[in-house]
Amino acid sequence: MYVCLCKGITDKQIVQAVNNGTASVRELRQQFGLGDQCGKCTFMARGVINEAMQNSSARQNSSGKPEIFVPSNTPSVSSSYFTLPTN
Amino acid sequence: MRGNSTVLLALNKVLTRKLTTLNQFFLHARMHKNWGFSQLNNKVYQASIEEMKHADKIIERILLLDGLPNLQELGKLNIGEEPSEMLKLDDKLQTDDIRHIRDAIAVCEGEQDFVSRKMLADILAQQEEHQDWLDTQCSLIDTLGVENYLQQQL
Ligand code: FES
Repeated sequence: MYVCLCKGITDKQIVQAVNNGTASVRELRQQFGLGDQCGKCTFMARGVINEAMQNSSARQNSSGKPEIFVPSNTPSVSSSYFTLPTN
Repeated sequence: MRGNSTVLLALNKVLTRKLTTLNQFFLHARMHKNWGFSQLNNKVYQASIEEMKHADKIIERILLLDGLPNLQELGKLNIGEEPSEMLKLDDKLQTDDIRHIRDAIAVCEGEQDFVSRKMLADILAQQEEHQDWLDTQCSLIDTLGVENYLQQQL
């Protein structure tokens, strides 16, 4: 959704900014002009930042044991499983 | 007729919510339209017009009570980026609106302003209808999946 409607800034953009190190509404204002016009968005922007920071620290804490196991490299699950033998 | 200041305050609060909701619905309706979802456009546009009519009733009531309707105050709009998110945001807004109208009804009751109370009760009934529609859409999206749902909204 659009957090800052005046400047067209979405929650996704804010989460991404947080992942790139943004930590405050003031920085969002500097980067995007968020809150510069009517200012109604700053409260929600703060909420989005907090949530994103919590999520990213939760990810770091559990980085040893991710909830869903995603095999990072699947050494040749041999293609023969999926392809018919040619002869 | 001089109105009770507590009632006037409560009415102005509901008015602010009405003005906010009508704007959110209006923009969402036209976004649906822009993407070709004409069914959603029709329904949400109509809901926006209903909100305007509610606002009108409240404005007239405040004036009759010798108060000053505040049309300047507007809450934050929660605008989604795609149809299902927009419907969910509308659902949430409508739910909050309903809660606030109930609170205002209690204020009118307490202050024995039974005419304002009836006006709000009528508004509330229409709100609940639209909220029911929004609830249904959200659960349809869950059961059918967004794509199937949207296919029916063209
Ligand atoms: S919504 Fe962000 S400045 Fe108006």
